Amino acid sequence: MSDTIPADIADKTDVTPAAETPCQDDSTRKASAIELRGLHKRFGRDTVALDGVDLHIQAGEFFTLLGPSGCGKTTLLRILAGLEEPDQGTLMVGGKELTEVPPHRRSVNTVFQSYALFPHLSVRDNLAFGLKMRGLPAAKRDAKVDEIADFIKLGDLVDRRVDQLSGGQRQRIALARALVCEPDVLLLDEPLSALDAGLRSQLQVELQRLQKRLGMTFVFVTHDQDEAMVMSDRIAVLDGGNIQQVGAPSDVYERPANAFVARFMGHDNLFAIHRSEGDWVETEIGRMRLLPEEQRDTSDGWLLVRPETLELGPEVPEGYNRMEGIVRERLYRGSRIEYRLEVNGQVVMAVASNLGQRIHREGDEVTISVCPEDLVRVAA
Amino acid sequence: MSKRALKRGLTGFWWLTLFFLYLPLAVVVLFSFNSANSSASFSGVSLRWYHRLLGNEQILSAFANSMVLAVVSSVVALVIGCLIGYGMYRHRHRKLGWLIVLIYLPIVLPDIVFGISEMAFFVQIHQATGLLKPGLGTMIIAHVTFQIPFVALIVYSRFVGLDPTLFEAAKDLYATPFKRVLHFMLPTIKPALISAFFLSFTLSIDDFVISFFTAGPESATLPIYIWGAIKKGVSPEINAIASLMIGAVAVAAILSLVFSRRRQT
Repeated sequence: MSDTIPADIADKTDVTPAAETPCQDDSTRKASAIELRGLHKRFGRDTVALDGVDLHIQAGEFFTLLGPSGCGKTTLLRILAGLEEPDQGTLMVGGKELTEVPPHRRSVNTVFQSYALFPHLSVRDNLAFGLKMRGLPAAKRDAKVDEIADFIKLGDLVDRRVDQLSGGQRQRIALARALVCEPDVLLLDEPLSALDAGLRSQLQVELQRLQKRLGMTFVFVTHDQDEAMVMSDRIAVLDGGNIQQVGAPSDVYERPANAFVARFMGHDNLFAIHRSEGDWVETEIGRMRLLPEEQRDTSDGWLLVRPETLELGPEVPEGYNRMEGIVRERLYRGSRIEYRLEVNGQVVMAVASNLGQRIHREGDEVTISVCPEDLVRVAA
Repeated sequence: MSKRALKRGLTGFWWLTLFFLYLPLAVVVLFSFNSANSSASFSGVSLRWYHRLLGNEQILSAFANSMVLAVVSSVVALVIGCLIGYGMYRHRHRKLGWLIVLIYLPIVLPDIVFGISEMAFFVQIHQATGLLKPGLGTMIIAHVTFQIPFVALIVYSRFVGLDPTLFEAAKDLYATPFKRVLHFMLPTIKPALISAFFLSFTLSIDDFVISFFTAGPESATLPIYIWGAIKKGVSPEINAIASLMIGAVAVAAILSLVFSRRRQT
């Protein structure tokens, strides 16, 4: 109900031109690159959280650490914050080595998952906490707090008590409290995970715009691949304490480095490749022609077929691969229709935009075609 | 039995409990204002017994002893108990079972056992070294030992109720270890500390048994004085002291409760 102050939604769409924002000049100057080399971290005897992570994050980049729980993404973020020390490896931010620098001496701030607003302080004092600890005089603190409150459009939230805030409001205060310190790097630990879906997608867009306006380096942790794709310049997918792939959202989604990344990015249509031969591969769902550059010497691996690239219909365009299948299930989603097809005894998912074409029914036999360009070979 | 009869019975039981709890106190307070020198009949309102108190040097010194003992022991117990409470919080993931039992043992130990062993201990140390002469000093030590567990428990439960990431947020926002204590931990647990102080104060003012065994000739507290005085019979003066103590303890207990409520928010 009171999740949003009036300015909350209304102002979301009009982005203040970058030049007019007071924080802009300070912060672009501060954007720092991050260099991680050979990070290892173990908890207890058996739990390996990070198993040799090398990573370069560019200055001013919106960088996301994506992975399932226990993949090491949070440990990596905590090492960046200084809340955890790596067993081995080095961390450089803006050219300075920070590996053993305690958190209170790093120009790095965190937006915590639980927001961690101090209950004994007012919103204003929460916002001013970092500045106060850095020894900034009260008058300057007030000015900075007002500036950030204006910048993030907090409105009258500043004068409220922490226990009067809703989840979305707390999230914004936590963000403002970190940003007001003008850190070299801002770390965000699943800051949207506690919010409901609507507010969440709204804040995703807002956060991403904010980062572009500030030009600050953001490192964002999430387990939600949709969130990662919407917001990030680049994504690192982690599993088992190792980086599986680093790349732009489209790289990671369209050309996953391995089967884990493919599955984690939401791809269900992965089919074992039995044999390669020239441009052709023998798979669970039949013989398929690939582009020459997709061919490898090794015959193992997976064929990734994105559901949205499959075309259902009697005509098969020139050069396309052709399959015969049966519609087993149909989900009508309004703007699109999802089909669960059976091809060669395998389940194949297909998604068609609802453009007024014929909608197939359960039990229909359909001809499926796919362009060789859309087929991707994924390592095991 | 019908529901209504059960309800009536329970209500009656409630009033009976209140009757035995508070009527004796009310009688004491009432007779402290009695103008006659009698504990049997009330003949008129007067403040003569309160006036008499002010002229009684023994009572005044006992009152002073009680206050010094309560304030000093509460402050010392607050500092030590606070450190223990924080230590228990910091190491809560380790197996501390036996240590916790050791800290809480004084709470369940009979006062008389505790008092006698403290006395024997102090006397032996005094005979061996000349230190710890029975008096206010030994009483303060004894009181601190039984106040500490209460303080530690209150502080510990306050810390446990906090979001653990708050400690990390303070670090992340440039607070040095010293500033973390000053600007985060102490302000956050302040209501718990105030509540613990008043609880300790109340425990100290109330205590007779442990005080009795650890006191010296010069350090009688109000309860010790009262105990000595009523051996000669209950005088209206005693009623006046008792009334004042009831008032003081009630205020301290209410303050403790108010501040422990406030920490919920």
